[in-house]
Amino acid sequence: MESNPQPSANGPPPKPWERAGSSSGPAPFKPPSAGSTSDVVEASGTAKPGEIVSSSDRNATVNRNALARPVPSRPWEQNYGSSSNYGGYGSTMNYNSGYGSGISGMSGMSGMYGSSYGGTGGLYGGGMYGNNSMYRGGYGGGMYGSSGMYGGGMYNSGLGSQMGGIGMGMGGPYGGQDPNDPYGGPPSPPGFWISVLRVTQGVVNFFGRIAILIDQNTQAFHMFMSALLQLFDRSGLLYGELARFVLRILGVKTKPNKVHPQGPNGGPLHGPHGPHGPQNYIEGPRPAPSGGWDNVWENDTSK
Amino acid sequence: MPVFKTPFNGYSIKFSPFYESRLAVATSQNFGILGNGRLHVIDLSPAPLGPAAPHQPITELIAYDTADGVYDVAWSESHDSLLVAAIADGSVKLYDVALPPASNPLRSLHEHTREVSSADYNPTRRDSFLTSSWDDTVKLWTVDRPASVRTFKEHAYCVYSAVWNPRHADVFASASGDCTLRVWDVREPGSTMIIPAHELEILACDWNKYDDCCISTASVDKSIKVWDVRSIRVPISVLNGHSYAVRKIKFSPHRQSLMMSCSYDMSVCLWDYMMEDALVARYDHHTEFVVGVDMSVLVEGLLASTGWDELAYVWQHGTDPRAP
Repeated sequence: MESNPQPSANGPPPKPWERAGSSSGPAPFKPPSAGSTSDVVEASGTAKPGEIVSSSDRNATVNRNALARPVPSRPWEQNYGSSSNYGGYGSTMNYNSGYGSGISGMSGMSGMYGSSYGGTGGLYGGGMYGNNSMYRGGYGGGMYGSSGMYGGGMYNSGLGSQMGGIGMGMGGPYGGQDPNDPYGGPPSPPGFWISVLRVTQGVVNFFGRIAILIDQNTQAFHMFMSALLQLFDRSGLLYGELARFVLRILGVKTKPNKVHPQGPNGGPLHGPHGPHGPQNYIEGPRPAPSGGWDNVWENDTSK
Repeated sequence: MPVFKTPFNGYSIKFSPFYESRLAVATSQNFGILGNGRLHVIDLSPAPLGPAAPHQPITELIAYDTADGVYDVAWSESHDSLLVAAIADGSVKLYDVALPPASNPLRSLHEHTREVSSADYNPTRRDSFLTSSWDDTVKLWTVDRPASVRTFKEHAYCVYSAVWNPRHADVFASASGDCTLRVWDVREPGSTMIIPAHELEILACDWNKYDDCCISTASVDKSIKVWDVRSIRVPISVLNGHSYAVRKIKFSPHRQSLMMSCSYDMSVCLWDYMMEDALVARYDHHTEFVVGVDMSVLVEGLLASTGWDELAYVWQHGTDPRAP
């Protein structure tokens, strides 16, 4: 295949569809303009080279969209600064449950995993199975919580003042936290704070990406959570059995879970494999070979 | 058919428009959440004579490491060795495979403020490309300028995909998490069309190559819809069959009504939206989420896919991608 490279100077070989005419009627598009893209855009007067859209810009943009539902605020942007941005939060005001459980998840644990778990708790708590706005709420809340944890933990202000922690943070050394703000920020804080801010931004990024991934794939997230819950369920059984075993060692008699078949005289029915007790083996224990289990394996060295 | 193992999780795969055996694969470490990225340029070794073509191992031409995940890649339509990579740190990087590794990336453009989710090279005018980003914007760039020509900011949530119309050099469409599909003309100040295409987020869109008014959208609501931009009230067709969110959609360069999609249900599907039984084929060769698919422009029926199972498959439609 490589033996017939196409000429590169004049672009790739013609596309298959270029040979065919367009099959449908007239298109609602303006006829193409001649010239290079940059010339065309500049001629139209819409060029705006190198524009960097900060988060506040973006929210100020008039959204001429035909959306019925509120659009969520993203986990990475926390628009505490300007009141005009608060509308974003207003639309997700029903995230209280999500927020709450997010925080409670986090208060018990520390570090990234703890907070991640808290975040998912928040998601679940927020009722992602409800209508869209509810789901959004849970999502926003959980994520908000995860950075709230940071603020709260840092200032040791406890759970009650999570929001306060964030507000205070923005006034103070958190100024540069907004990853969308390329210019602003207070005079450079001490090195320790810079590193803390970087870590914070990393954490915010991390949660932002997880949030978007979950966003893109709500059902798979549900699958993941149910698998996790099932796992916990199983481990619950496991620990239940363990606890029973320990109690038995300690001499506490606990009732076995299984109902064993009763013999005709009311006593346990002895299976065909002899009086091995009430256990109901699917495959009964075989009599041990002579010499015990040592020579079960054929490549036993003692043989 | 050939399989290529990538060290990181696959995010996107694209056939070169110049060489029928060359592909680019964008990958990200740790599912793109945290860590580095790598851009692979791979070659299918020459096909043996005869139609059977049983063995076609893949060789890596070159790989570029990036500081953050690579979410998408696009081949240039004007230079056979030029690549545009959409990086998760918000940068857009240009690579020239023909240049020594030391001089790559050729250019690194930092304007997006969030993860860049897609890149698409203008196939008709061939001097510009689009990038879309989680910062809700789409940017138009030309190769010869160090800054973007224009920024399109109207979407209210992440823009997952922006794709040029294959017949109109000034028209493109963007799919966003705000549940709208927008059609733009680069000469107009705002979008020319807003299609509230799905109830849930739209993750991808693509234009029909043979009908410049026909566009398809793929959504978190598990469906694919095909639209005529002249009558946007109802879709031409709604394709159900994926059991989780549909991540990418691609129209065939060879057949008008054929489409290829991949989904979080770990399958790759081929659809003919004009047929009553639209699902043409389903491939279950991936063991993790499939997030990148492409159809070769130069070889009819040659398909490629990549996913989070760190594998990139290239196979002929109708054959088993996993067959040795």
